[in-house]
Amino acid sequence: MTIASDDPRVAAAAAPPPAPPPGPPVRRRRRLTRNRWGYAYVAPFFVLFACFSLYPFLYTAWISLHEVRLSDIDGAEFVGLGNYTALLQNEFFWNAARNTLTIGVLSTVPQLAMALGLAHLLNYKLRGRTFYRVAMLMPYATSIAAATLVFAQLFGHDYGLINTLLEAVGFDRVDWESGTWTSQFAISVIVTWRWTGYNALIYLAAMQAIPGDLYEAATLDGASRWQQFLHVTIPALKPTILFTIVVSTIGAVQLFGEPLLFSGNGMTSGGVSNQYQTLGLLMYDQGWTNFHLGQAAATAWAMFLIILVVVGGYALLARRRARAER
Amino acid sequence: MATVTFDSATRMYPKADRPAVDNLDLEIGDGEFLVLVGPSGCGKSTSLRMLAGLEEIDAGSIRIGDRDVSDAPPKDRDIAMVFQNYALYPHMTVEQNMGFALKIAGVAKDEIGRRVAEAAKILDLEDYLLRRPKALSGGQRQRVAMGRAIVRNPQVFLMDEPLSNLDAKLRVQTRTQIAALQRRLAVTTVYVTHDQVEAMTMGDRVAVLRDGVLQQCDTPGALYERPANTFVAGFIGSPAMNVVTGPAVDGGVRLAGAVLPVPREKLARAAAGTGRVTVGFRPESLETAPPGEGVPVVVNVVEQLGSDAFLYATLGADDDGDVLHTADVVVRTEPRTAAAVGETVHLRVREDCLHVFDPVTQLRVD
Ligand SMILES: Nc1ncnc2c1ncn2[C@@H]1O[C@H](COP(=O)(O)OP(=O)(O)OP(=O)(O)O)[C@@H](O)[C@H]1O
Ligand SMILES: [Mg+2]
Repeated sequence: MTIASDDPRVAAAAAPPPAPPPGPPVRRRRRLTRNRWGYAYVAPFFVLFACFSLYPFLYTAWISLHEVRLSDIDGAEFVGLGNYTALLQNEFFWNAARNTLTIGVLSTVPQLAMALGLAHLLNYKLRGRTFYRVAMLMPYATSIAAATLVFAQLFGHDYGLINTLLEAVGFDRVDWESGTWTSQFAISVIVTWRWTGYNALIYLAAMQAIPGDLYEAATLDGASRWQQFLHVTIPALKPTILFTIVVSTIGAVQLFGEPLLFSGNGMTSGGVSNQYQTLGLLMYDQGWTNFHLGQAAATAWAMFLIILVVVGGYALLARRRARAER
Repeated sequence: MATVTFDSATRMYPKADRPAVDNLDLEIGDGEFLVLVGPSGCGKSTSLRMLAGLEEIDAGSIRIGDRDVSDAPPKDRDIAMVFQNYALYPHMTVEQNMGFALKIAGVAKDEIGRRVAEAAKILDLEDYLLRRPKALSGGQRQRVAMGRAIVRNPQVFLMDEPLSNLDAKLRVQTRTQIAALQRRLAVTTVYVTHDQVEAMTMGDRVAVLRDGVLQQCDTPGALYERPANTFVAGFIGSPAMNVVTGPAVDGGVRLAGAVLPVPREKLARAAAGTGRVTVGFRPESLETAPPGEGVPVVVNVVEQLGSDAFLYATLGADDDGDVLHTADVVVRTEPRTAAAVGETVHLRVREDCLHVFDPVTQLRVD
């Protein structure tokens, strides 16, 4: 891509040699000038990004190094990494990290597996499949608050539909909210319900890009439907699967709305014994319930670092596998 | 190894108004190389896919050997197919691609390795076994697709235009290789192409399809010598046979004021209903005649190919006003004695090289 330019420097650069000045810096600058319209076109995005993403991001980092109270932001006192060391010694942090991990695994794994299966089914020529596709996206279009409130009802102890059903088939009522595993399971169900269709649509789009003759070849090679799924569909979906894993992981680390609203009263403690307090809730708790902005910022950064490490780990794994396959 | 029989096999796609393959009757011998040829959309791929089990059979049946496979799933038919775009599994190496069917069938690992190595040797793919399809050239991919079929050691090979993605030179080369390989393996093969040169050079027999209907199935020589109708006559041979219709007169057919001799009995039978007769003569069976004899044509274009020259000429409408149309005629001549553009050349047909057809049914008259 070249854009006509009357810039004399560009013209000079294009003209044949008055001994080309060697070395990368010059060439680099020349490339920058030549592509300046390209940079101009992408600039608005980066300006907005700088204002609304980069600045808050760095400001959070700055705050995390200070002792700040919500009531008096300007009266910050520099404490170095104090907030971080405090965080590492904070049992609530470790509890929240553990909860985030278990809820993350409990929701992400079944969510993606079910999405894959659903997409596979919807990829067949079903009657009325447009309807199913729209229906699948409905949970995603529902607000977290509405969905969580409905689910909180379903999981309610005395009048919840689920307990009623359990009782009907002869089990005891379960106090979903107060148990550690049960509450985390219930929250995972909400998350899974909300995101399965979304991921299924992404998988479906990727599946439809797989050439049909691969399946015909596999059929002639004697592969059953399931073997075709394993040997044709899954390998072709690998990049897409990695993408959804990354997105779901980020979502899982930042999980906030569902546990906040699950108790029905918007408590940031995540249950009486913090049994489902996630990192997102903990951060909110620190900043807006206890007014320790510095600690909240440190938690936010810790969440960011966790995401970075986990996603970096995936990337490494994927790269190593790709290399091994080559 | 097995014979293949199409018995009035018919395929009607949903919502189509006529069958894509209509009452196909075809017997393919054990170890035979049969080519299905015809213009685009005539139902070649559909016929092949019916045999493969990828397309339902709406009427009639298909047998492999003595077994009726009309309702058998593809994997139970013991066939291997080479697809037009090869359909190689992109994430598998060449080796894994070729061994996939055996792996699915549960063949032991070292046996798979042995058979893949053997096929790779035949196809000259030994250096590429660990590569992925995207790191191969078109010709190499084609060979991998062949290898995938060979490794299975099936009863029947199916190939759907396997050469159409190769450049002209490679296509000629590969075409002889495939034919030689097939003779060597002696596996019954059905090969689809729309290229009549491919059909003629590769097939033991060639089946010509048109609009889903089988026109003729015979050896390449017989198709060339005795086309069953004007469609086959025009389709087989390059450049195509000249086919013209004119009024029957005593001793022949009148074309552009001259009379082209036609054997009496054939003439009588062809002209019985209409008083007209359709004749066909190939470019290579024409020779120039002295003025006063033969049919006059006016040369429009001269195409020099070095070894031959082709004259593209017009056969004038009959001056009686009886013959309705002018016709384009192609003539092969010696390159050095080729006529010039605008010149009128008188032509006659070599003995026994005239094909006579019924102008109504378009069928050959013998
Ligand atoms: N899946 C389908 N649904 C409906 N009609 C089809 C389908 N596949 C093919 N047809 C029709 O059936 C006819 C035969 O198609 P087929 O693919 O067998 O042609 P072909 O001889 O292989 O042509 P080509 O040389 O272009 O590949 C065509 O008229 C085509 O439009
Ligand atoms: Mg076809």
